[in-house]
Amino acid sequence: MATRVAVPPKSSELVEKESISLTINGRRFRFSVGDNMGDVSPAETLIETLRQRLQMTGAKQSCGTGACGCCTVIVNGDAVASCMTLTVEMDRKSITTIEGLEDPAKGLDPIQQVFIDEYAFQCGYCTPGIVMVAKALFMKNPRPTPGEIQEALAGNFCRCISHYTVLRALNKLAGNDNAELSHFVRANDLVEDPIPVAEELYPSPYASGQPGKRALD
Amino acid sequence: MKYRDIRQPNYRHVGKYSPRKEARELVTGKALFLDDFSLPHMLIGRTKRSPYPHARIVKIDTAEAEALEGVRAVITHKNAPFLAGLGWPVHRLVLEPKVFYVGDQVAIVAAETQEIANEAIDLIEVEYEQLPAVFTAADALKEGAPQLYERFPGNLVDPGCPYFQPDGPFWQVKRGDPDKAIAEADFVAEDEISFSKMPCPLAPEAPSVIVRYDGNQHYTVWASSQSSHIMKLLMQAYVPGSQIDVNTFNVGGSYGNKQTMLNAAVSAALLANVTKRPVKVVLSKAEQLMAYEVRLGSTIKATMAANKEGIVTAVKGDWLVDTGCVCNSTQGQIGVGLGEAQLVLAKCENWFLDSHIAVTNRQQAGIVRGYGGQELNSCLEKLLCAIMKEGGFDPLDVFKKNYVSHGDKYVWRDGRTYRSRSSFFFPEVMQQTAERFGWSEKWKGWFKPTCVNGTKARGVGMGVIGNADIQEDNTEAIVRIVPNLDVANVGGGSALVVVECDITESGMGQRSNACKVVAEVFNCPYEWVSITDPGTRHNPSNFGLCGSRGTITTGKAVSEAALDARRQAMELAAIKLDRAVDQLEMRDMEIYVRDTPELRIAVSRLADRELSIVGYGKHVEKFDCPSCIAVFVEVEVDLDTGLTEVVRLAGGSDVGQIIDSKALEMQLHGGIGSASLDTAIFEECNLDPSTGRLLASSLIDYKWRTFNDLPRYDGFVMESQIDTFMFKALGIGEVTGAALASAALMAISNAIGVDVKEYPATPAVVLEALGKA
Repeated sequence: MATRVAVPPKSSELVEKESISLTINGRRFRFSVGDNMGDVSPAETLIETLRQRLQMTGAKQSCGTGACGCCTVIVNGDAVASCMTLTVEMDRKSITTIEGLEDPAKGLDPIQQVFIDEYAFQCGYCTPGIVMVAKALFMKNPRPTPGEIQEALAGNFCRCISHYTVLRALNKLAGNDNAELSHFVRANDLVEDPIPVAEELYPSPYASGQPGKRALD
Repeated sequence: MKYRDIRQPNYRHVGKYSPRKEARELVTGKALFLDDFSLPHMLIGRTKRSPYPHARIVKIDTAEAEALEGVRAVITHKNAPFLAGLGWPVHRLVLEPKVFYVGDQVAIVAAETQEIANEAIDLIEVEYEQLPAVFTAADALKEGAPQLYERFPGNLVDPGCPYFQPDGPFWQVKRGDPDKAIAEADFVAEDEISFSKMPCPLAPEAPSVIVRYDGNQHYTVWASSQSSHIMKLLMQAYVPGSQIDVNTFNVGGSYGNKQTMLNAAVSAALLANVTKRPVKVVLSKAEQLMAYEVRLGSTIKATMAANKEGIVTAVKGDWLVDTGCVCNSTQGQIGVGLGEAQLVLAKCENWFLDSHIAVTNRQQAGIVRGYGGQELNSCLEKLLCAIMKEGGFDPLDVFKKNYVSHGDKYVWRDGRTYRSRSSFFFPEVMQQTAERFGWSEKWKGWFKPTCVNGTKARGVGMGVIGNADIQEDNTEAIVRIVPNLDVANVGGGSALVVVECDITESGMGQRSNACKVVAEVFNCPYEWVSITDPGTRHNPSNFGLCGSRGTITTGKAVSEAALDARRQAMELAAIKLDRAVDQLEMRDMEIYVRDTPELRIAVSRLADRELSIVGYGKHVEKFDCPSCIAVFVEVEVDLDTGLTEVVRLAGGSDVGQIIDSKALEMQLHGGIGSASLDTAIFEECNLDPSTGRLLASSLIDYKWRTFNDLPRYDGFVMESQIDTFMFKALGIGEVTGAALASAALMAISNAIGVDVKEYPATPAVVLEALGKA
């Protein structure tokens, strides 16, 4: 399922506009359009408006060509690359950014929480974009299949390779069993009748008065 | 010794998953990266770049750019306020009257906005006289080749790097009698193999920097650098007479590649010096791809010999390295590459492995995860494959027999000889990982597919590599137990722990791991321990997170500092409780008498009011505990189209002790990224041969692995409690992908039944190998 859609240009409309109003994370903003100081110029992208004008720096400006997904925000329910979206085209649109996902009263969005529980990031730079694409997907389809999750994220660049834990987190949220792509085995879990049988006999070496006294060496 | 006989400690935190300290900030978009930060009155810096690979600047006219409203400085080689050098040994300036690659700096501009800076760049008129250019190391070293720098006659770079090699240059492995060993060997292979497409590690966050000039040659830097300490060391060397403080934020991926960022940093320093205002330079993605550091080009021409047991007995040859247009301590990478080759072939007693570094008219090659070892291994393992094929050996047996064992000797990057004190279980790790991967069922012999289904042929390959850099460079840390008082509660209260340690988080979780081991030593909740922001001025010295050194070096410094503070707390408590130290226990920042637990005192009340208990710890460099990773790759090749799909991966290691289970699992996965696995499948940087210009300069053109193209990964980890520091762990991240490219090429060769020697094995390469091109 493709969740990233191009916003169709409506240039005939734009020429006549003197101002635009848009809603970001539930708050309404009104901007003058033009070339004067402080105006939103017709060339201003949504990522520039968010990051530079409004100091919402959660969405990241990375590739500038709509390829990496780091700048993803949700516009009227669709995941959109905000680096490829003109702000003047956002008139009367409702935008959700990563900053708008956490509910001040209820806490983190379930996607954010499962990302923490499953450690679904490394450097975290592409994380806001991945979370927003996932959010748009789950808004439309609360039980996506493993394949649908992978397809939805296919436009998100991640170079640390957190893909496996991102998919683990989202499959958990979607209730997909047996979707695991990464299997991590610790040799210690395979040892039959392991030596450190009882925690009270072998506590952390640092739980005792003098470290080293009952430490293992 | 059997693995089950190793006693495993029951740690409270170590070995388990603890959510990263930054986790909540990262998933809510609050985490600060360099470009999310700005200073008051800040300017934007941009670079005018060369369209030619090699040219003399005949004329440069900046008048129009300077006249543009909002432009605050235009700097060229003619008016730079100081001469900023580049490279080791210094062979060029940041701004020269010549350009040496497509993308080289011609002029730098500081302006009030990005748009003005971009316009100013376009207004600079430059007239060039084009010079002949050279794009490969082999061509650069030929007689009559175009010369780049006076400092490097014949384009040959001096060996050795004093910072890494204090005893003198180390650039050759030389011992025994390789000629004799080759003459007496059962199997001999001779070949020339290249890994020279110089792919880009491509961190999602671009190299970026803010520099403020504070007067008296003092600069304060904020940077997307993975190591503030290294950046300070290098910048001070190239900004003459300077005193530099570097601060860092969260780093959006680095993979060793964003450390000094010298071109951008020195450009910003020049602009800040002239304008007396802070200047921010953020590279565009095109600049990051075309005008920033990529992997070294690597070619090996060598002979390798082995006996009938499959033990390699001689290596003789030359490693030719293309460092692009700047050599910035590439010599250090040579040292580590040669070292890692000896770990893989540790039973070999006859070596003459020479190396040469050449400068070319390509973009600069720099540091990338794998650090020389990956580039050399990708070539050297092809020779090993030829030997193994010759002898009909199963690679699993050969790697098990040849890899460094406890007690084996090798020369590391400082030129000194070390004897491994590392794991006894590396062969067992290889075996167990192979079993999980299904190696014995899938391995059918050399150049034999595992199975063929119509036009789809499957094959398997493997590789082993390791790294002894994991204890590199001295490091120190301070741990403070801080009474968490308030004015209403001066007599009691809790205590918090602050770790003073200069490490930057670029994804490995080491800042959290530092807190975790300290929490283990204090036997207190992980949440009670925090770590100072990274930065060179307000922290003790730390070389940063490179070469997988974080686990041991930072782990040792912070845990010893914690132990020092803990010892002081216990001694103070012994006086206050009137007991001997060995009768006391510590838990959750309280100290109590073991047999009389009601006799207790809060740690916050031990020192005099307002005062902390301060511990100090350090690590001193050595190279005697190498790591090991065994990787396995299964591919499916379409024999009609030549397209390769990776269908299964496995990686196994003995890491001594896991510090954080999930972080380690992702270090294994991370080996796939940052120009590793896919440098054998589809990743490459190709130049237009007529213009010298990079063909893939955007994330649309450059190929990268996507979420819907992931093979299954089987990770296997042993914890044999290796004697490195208090927590018995090894670092592993640097090399988790270092043998994946060579393993993938082995797998492709086996799938299609023909030896493929070219990286990456794109459909065109595969079809040519099959004679279908």
